[in-house]
Amino acid sequence: MPFRKILVAIDGSEASDHAFAKAVELAALTHAKLTALAVEGPLPAYAATVGEVEEVKREKDAFFRGLAAAARARAEEAGVEIAVDVQPGHPAELITRVAHEGDYDLIVLGHRGHFVRDRLLGSTADRVAEHASCPVMIVR
Amino acid sequence: VAALLAATVLIASMISVEIGLSVALIELVAGVVVANSFDLDVPSWLAFLGTFAGMVLTFQAGAEVDVPQFRREWKASVSIGLVSFFAPFAVVGLVAYYGLGWDRREAEIAGLALSTTSLAVVYAVLVETGLNRELVGKRLMSATFVTDIATVAGLTVLFVKPTIWIVPFVVVSVALIVALPKGSPWFFRRYGNRVIEPEIKLVFAVLFVLMWLGDRAHSQAVLPAFVLGLVMSGHYLAHRTEQERLRVVAFAFLTPFFFLKGGMSVSAGALWANLGVLAILFAAKMLPKFGGVYPLARRYTAPHATFTTLLMSTGLTFGTITSLYGLNAGIIDRTQFSLLIAVVVLSAIVPTAIAQRYFDPRDVHVAADRHAVPAVSTASAPEGAGR
Repeated sequence: MPFRKILVAIDGSEASDHAFAKAVELAALTHAKLTALAVEGPLPAYAATVGEVEEVKREKDAFFRGLAAAARARAEEAGVEIAVDVQPGHPAELITRVAHEGDYDLIVLGHRGHFVRDRLLGSTADRVAEHASCPVMIVR
Repeated sequence: VAALLAATVLIASMISVEIGLSVALIELVAGVVVANSFDLDVPSWLAFLGTFAGMVLTFQAGAEVDVPQFRREWKASVSIGLVSFFAPFAVVGLVAYYGLGWDRREAEIAGLALSTTSLAVVYAVLVETGLNRELVGKRLMSATFVTDIATVAGLTVLFVKPTIWIVPFVVVSVALIVALPKGSPWFFRRYGNRVIEPEIKLVFAVLFVLMWLGDRAHSQAVLPAFVLGLVMSGHYLAHRTEQERLRVVAFAFLTPFFFLKGGMSVSAGALWANLGVLAILFAAKMLPKFGGVYPLARRYTAPHATFTTLLMSTGLTFGTITSLYGLNAGIIDRTQFSLLIAVVVLSAIVPTAIAQRYFDPRDVHVAADRHAVPAVSTASAPEGAGR
């Protein structure tokens, strides 16, 4: 069996949708265990009001709840069993760490995320590819 | 000018979403850029709107305090919070007075503006690190509240030049503080939950009355506004929707103009010409915060003492409010205001970045695991997979 455990990073962007579809396809073909990891990005840095932080946090929580539900539904539709993990943190670091600690043998992720900040300092995909301890598939 | 500023506010919001920085900070910087690029002065309508927005921010800051938590942790919080206020207040005041040759009132404004701790900056970092659910985080939030209330009390007490109007100002303030929490459930039940928002209009009317009386009394209404928010915090905790609506109105129309006005009053040229003074004032804020808070943090927030001390050294909203008060009241000039705002902004960024980069509490908890995990540079990696 080429892959036993596949980790796919999701963030609701178009690129991550493509990556998710590819990961589901691969998991169905190889009967691998599939886990979708959604990384809650940072709260607004240097906020002026607690309200701003609370509202963004609430929006993020709602967004990721919806994302997790959609991922489960899509995987179920394809007949693939999936676990969805939503965690706060630094995306590249978290994806790399979860893959390492969970002994995954493939990471699947999109080539870029939602926002300009994703492109300002190099992509998460580049970072994961550089530091991951298992093969990485970057989907366009 | 209004169209230009409205466009600036819109662009600031878009940039905030794209790069993950607080919209307030971007509005502040946008104000500096717009005013200095187009040689704009603050128009009178913006000055008025900004002053009122400062009151709304102060009310909101009070309403965001977790009073029951503060009651549980008041001993640790009071000591850290008071030291966090008095140490930089004294040092900055003395440095400004003796070292920079500012007069007493200018030095007091400097001391107050740079003694603050930003509740919002602290809260965001605590939520991200998960520390807000632990005792350390709760103590830190309560201590920040103590520092904030010391600042608003200082602003009210130090600059009061009482007239006969001080009597109605104090009487009405106390009456509102007592009556509003008691009367608001009835008012909100009868008039609330409507698109015309009588609840928000009630809060705004009360704040306008306080501003007017404070002005007549030659005093500042920030203390009663903060305490009013504080006594309403329980109500808002039970009625989150009302608080959310107030925030929507504030974020959409009021606070942008407050920060924009703050930025527009900054002279980039004056800052450039006084970089040495800027460095002195920054050090005068940071060093006493460290000297004062760190020993207490070791006692009350170990093993995160350095992290706690760095977060207690942050500042933003109350520093801006205090500096703007000093400028509007003619106590400080534009150069002094520019220096204070620059230090306030630096104090929001520098200690927070250091705390997150080098003293992240999650590193303490997972230090052992980290050795086994490939490291990814947080300085250069993006937030691509996260929203």
